Amino acid sequence: MSILYLLIPIAGLFVILAVAIFFWAVRSNQFEDLERQGMNVLLDDDDDKLKSPEKNQPSSDNDQH
Amino acid sequence: MSSDSFPTIPTGLCFHCLQPIPVDTSIEVEVAGKPREVCCHGCQAVAGTIAAHGLTHFYQFRDISNPTSVELVPAELQALEAYDNDELQQRFVQQLDSGTSRQITLSVDGMTCAACAWLIEREVMRCSGVLQVGVNATTERVQIRWNPEQARLSQLLKAIHGIGYKALPFQQDMAEQDFARKRKQYVKRLGVAGLATMQVMMIAVALYFGAVSDLASDMQLFLWWVSLAFATPVILYSAQPFYISALRSIQASRPNMDVPVSIALLGAYSASAYATFTAQGEVYFESVSMFTLFLLAGRYIELLAKQRAVSVAANLVKLLPAIAERELDQSTEQVLVQQLQPGDIIRVKPGATLPVDGELLSSQAQVNESLMTGESRPVMKQSGDAMLAGSVNQSQSVRLKVTATQHDTVLAGIVALQDSALASKPKLARMADKIASVFVWRLLIVAALTFFIWSWIDPGKAFWVTLAVLVATCPCALSLAAPTAVTGAIHRLNKHSVLVRNGDILENLQQIKTIIFDKTGTLTTGNFELQKYHYYHQDQQAINDLVASIESYSEHPLAIPLRELGDATPLAQIEHIAGLGLAATISAGTHYRLGSLAFVQQWHPEFLSRNTGSNVFLSDSTRVLAEFEVQDALREDAKTTLQALKAKDYRLVMLTGDSTERAQQVATELGIDEVYAKCSPADKLTQLKQLQSEQPAMMVGDGINDGPVLAQADVSMSFAAAADLAKASADTISLSGKLEHVALVLGTGIRCRQIMRQNVTWALVYNLSILPVAMAGFVTPYIAAIGMSLSSLLVLGNSLRLYKS
Repeated sequence: MSILYLLIPIAGLFVILAVAIFFWAVRSNQFEDLERQGMNVLLDDDDDKLKSPEKNQPSSDNDQH
Repeated sequence: MSSDSFPTIPTGLCFHCLQPIPVDTSIEVEVAGKPREVCCHGCQAVAGTIAAHGLTHFYQFRDISNPTSVELVPAELQALEAYDNDELQQRFVQQLDSGTSRQITLSVDGMTCAACAWLIEREVMRCSGVLQVGVNATTERVQIRWNPEQARLSQLLKAIHGIGYKALPFQQDMAEQDFARKRKQYVKRLGVAGLATMQVMMIAVALYFGAVSDLASDMQLFLWWVSLAFATPVILYSAQPFYISALRSIQASRPNMDVPVSIALLGAYSASAYATFTAQGEVYFESVSMFTLFLLAGRYIELLAKQRAVSVAANLVKLLPAIAERELDQSTEQVLVQQLQPGDIIRVKPGATLPVDGELLSSQAQVNESLMTGESRPVMKQSGDAMLAGSVNQSQSVRLKVTATQHDTVLAGIVALQDSALASKPKLARMADKIASVFVWRLLIVAALTFFIWSWIDPGKAFWVTLAVLVATCPCALSLAAPTAVTGAIHRLNKHSVLVRNGDILENLQQIKTIIFDKTGTLTTGNFELQKYHYYHQDQQAINDLVASIESYSEHPLAIPLRELGDATPLAQIEHIAGLGLAATISAGTHYRLGSLAFVQQWHPEFLSRNTGSNVFLSDSTRVLAEFEVQDALREDAKTTLQALKAKDYRLVMLTGDSTERAQQVATELGIDEVYAKCSPADKLTQLKQLQSEQPAMMVGDGINDGPVLAQADVSMSFAAAADLAKASADTISLSGKLEHVALVLGTGIRCRQIMRQNVTWALVYNLSILPVAMAGFVTPYIAAIGMSLSSLLVLGNSLRLYKS
């Protein structure tokens, strides 16, 4: 049973990691429009891209690593 | 992409807008290599644009169960140019990157699914100068960032119009940004509470079984410490909103439900932490974490429902460019209404709304002041008469001399009246808060009592039994009772397309005993229809054709329904006689008069009308041929709704700015006994306060002149098509514009209150029955946890009943 003394703290670290990822997701507005994102997989085709949508967002604060 | 991958559209429906195709129409458009039937040239153009721009994915993935219904008016496209005015843009456009780019948020009408969002994004992205586009399908908004040197705002708006949506700047609600920030906070707190509670529960299960089989005591202590570690962020971070709200309510000396919640949370947590440090007694970390998670989830769902209502309501109020046409020496120029000065001369086109108060310079004008005064009939103005901002010009283009700038118009006065009414709106006490203040004291007394009795029986156990009492009486179910019921009611009303801007009113609807209605636009549609008629001549068809022929020369609003009577034929001669009617001569040489009673009495002084309501008469030189009553038509559902309300013993009152005679007529027809007519907005407010001093009252109205009363009433309702000012101050808005929604809102309010009472009763019964068990010292951590979750789930399940039926 003494393995628990090691395993439970490791589980704790994973929880902290999960919370960190979750906070990042909230901050980068991924929870703003839940209806929309499911459709994007279907609709965005690469072949008819007229402009590159990947433009940097200078004003957002989540780009700093 | 083969065209076969499009979902099949039922025959007879338009390929683009999915509305039925009119019978004698055959318009087609080619999309993805096949001809498709559409209902009109508007849809043809839109579908053509979408196909030409290679965006046919839209037709493949859109939600066809949800047809769009935005009408495309080409005239509106012209008006969009006005949005390019820099001064106007300051109101809703953000300057970014020191002026090299601009950002705007628009509300989009006609968006039905995520495919629409994609379509709009793609189409706007095609425009040169556009830097970034983001469409939010949930709030029906689009955010665009563009370079003002390469693109004008009107071009972007036109691009969106070109694919069949209507995107315009809107009046952003101050509360909205606040909501968005709060929502993010709540999502984070919920995430932390959820993840941590899972761990604490997992360990708690191990501890429960340890109580049965033996668990080594150092392992048990280790698990306690781990639980403490996971419960700490829940208590210190996730549960913060409860402490803050509790502190605020204590400062205002009106303790709310969050006070017992905070006492239970902090009390149980610190006692459990003490137990962990001293390695004795019991810990309740799982109860504390679960409690926080449940309550947070309840509050979050409530917040979402309210936020949605606020953003939909904000979308309804569009920011239209307030542009006026000012006369210069030789020509005219377009200026912003804000720039007008008293003494300027402006022109107002037919059908346009007057931007400011003014003095009429043209010889004659006919205006509709119904939104301002409630007067249902157009008002005739002579040269020199005062004209009100907000009224609609119904004659030819008129010239006005500006007498007041925007800040001191009559309209601005009504807005000021509304603001002061909103501040004095009576606040009915919330049921949950009333219970809470009683609850706090009882809880503290019981806890203290338990402690003293147990100190006398067994001082070693006194602290732990008191802790068990605190956890057992934790008002989890009790504090979920109100928010879940309110959220359920809001969703139910949303499903019936009634928007609830202010969720707090739902609790108090059952106290409403008086319902006050405005007349024009609320009980009536605001459109004239032929109500009654009488013919003094055998050949009715001939009379009808004659009336239709004569009225086809008239622009008078009363003439419009009469034009539909028969087939119009050209007349030999026609003369407009101002204020009286039309004198006509047919090719056979007979003279006719069509108009007011006074007009035909010039020929037939002895003639008396059969129906006092008749207002249009036809006569030839020998006798009167027919009389018609053309009136503002009642809303379809007005009669049934008012009868139903009357049957439920509501006191029905009519409060209108229209004349006593017309108000009385509608009131009699609908069975309203109390009528207050000819009321100015200020009179209406005084009258309402008088009625409110007797009983809480609900107000239903749609005009600008209803703005102050809608704000003052305990509960108010307006319609999606109402004046912006009315919508901005109403608590609920019927999006489909049905009067029967008044009964629906009241019924839902009563149902909501019932559910809430059941919830509260159940929660109190649970807390009271577990209390003696806890005081006797039998409540172990797992009993507390099970009891709390079950009682909360029961409350939630009960509230969910509001979603149904």
